[in-house]
Amino acid sequence: MADNRELVKVVKDIVSREDVKYVIGYKKGTYGFQIMPAFAYDTKQAEEFVFSPLCAKNLATYPLLEEKLPLRREEKEDKRKIGLVVKGCDSRAIVQVIQEKGLSREDVVLIGIPCKGVIDLKKIEKMFPRQKDLADVEEDDSGNYIITIKDEVHTVPKKELLSDVCMSCEYPNPVIYDALIGEKIEDFEIEKFERVEVLENKPLEERWQYWEHHFEKCIRCYACREACPLCYCKECMVDLLEPQWVRRSVDLSENTAWNVMRAFHLAGRCISCGECERACPVNIPLMELNKFIEKEVKEMFEYTSGIDMEEKPLLGMFKPDDPEDFVL
Amino acid sequence: MEEEFEPNIIGFLCNWCAYSGADLAGTSRIQYPPNVKVIKVMCSGRINPMYVVNALQQGADGVLIGGCHPGDCHYNHGNYLARRRIAVMKKLLEYMGIEPERVRMTWVSAAEGRKFADVVKEVTEDIKKLGPMTKIRRKNAWQTIES
Repeated sequence: MADNRELVKVVKDIVSREDVKYVIGYKKGTYGFQIMPAFAYDTKQAEEFVFSPLCAKNLATYPLLEEKLPLRREEKEDKRKIGLVVKGCDSRAIVQVIQEKGLSREDVVLIGIPCKGVIDLKKIEKMFPRQKDLADVEEDDSGNYIITIKDEVHTVPKKELLSDVCMSCEYPNPVIYDALIGEKIEDFEIEKFERVEVLENKPLEERWQYWEHHFEKCIRCYACREACPLCYCKECMVDLLEPQWVRRSVDLSENTAWNVMRAFHLAGRCISCGECERACPVNIPLMELNKFIEKEVKEMFEYTSGIDMEEKPLLGMFKPDDPEDFVL
Repeated sequence: MEEEFEPNIIGFLCNWCAYSGADLAGTSRIQYPPNVKVIKVMCSGRINPMYVVNALQQGADGVLIGGCHPGDCHYNHGNYLARRRIAVMKKLLEYMGIEPERVRMTWVSAAEGRKFADVVKEVTEDIKKLGPMTKIRRKNAWQTIES
């Protein structure tokens, strides 16, 4: 894992650059296992920066959320860059956004951190419920997490706490970066995202029962959309009233339509950071949809998202020999 | 005697090939089931996959999408793009537990009236076997009060 001192030093260097507005990273939260996003405008604020296996949040959402106010007369546009601390998946999100021309490469300075996987907050809070004191988590070389709460030290095997998406992570190293902290991870194990295959092998009716059960719970808070680094349309189809694609009532039919729409709009774009699933307040396994599409897209079109900035978007291009066995 | 289930099928047909094909089937007096309700679109690439979901929500038991043969598109590559989109959408619906037979795609040229009739026959029979779509049907307020 990356060294915090090295991280702070690099962030300080970058934030003191003339052409950088601010750097986004992680700092410790107020209690328990919380980590919150930090914005450093000067070197003093940069000292708070940390990186630990608890830093799950995908920060790639933030550069896209920045509000651009209309310019006053003779005012010049602020073209300074935004610094960003990125893990493997976050950097893929940035690549994907750049590919879609949502950002340009000059807009961001990326501080890459090779990541061995992050902790699922829901799992760790189950293990240590109602934790008020700020906890510290580190990863040792033998695949354990060392959790320090006040003076108590717990050692927990990595597998028990690791986020599900991280187990099948293919890109632990950042794809693009301007500064790299720590060493690249060379040997890592990739496990299959089991939940997709388990469900895929069930009969049709059982699959529907499974999703019916989950979609009935959906409260349509759109937290999945807000947390997703790739859901950055200024006007989302679900918010439109004319035409109204999805009605606002919360029932199975509309919930299904929304979830189909969300998953479909991420086809060939999702970089499987797992942020939607983490954000979901009713625990709908959204990554099972995303991972399924990712797998199918890879099989059918040999396409992986978020690797190449010059590649064309999946549904905006075609090959004459695309599979068409389903066509009558 | 119980009435036989007559499926409601929405057909999105492209203006240049599939719609003309359907036209030809009509002018050649070829008999085919009347279950397909046709919506003409200018190109199969115009079909937003959400149309399919919306149709299934609002009363369709199946959706048929008709476009030009690959390479014949009036707009050069609209049908290629449609093919990709529908392929992904079909897989997704199947994974969610909605019968894949409900969403069908076909290439029909303007000269293939016979093929259009055959396709409609096949699709109608398939959906008759499946029965009415109930899974993601939209429930309107007045319907819940009645029942």
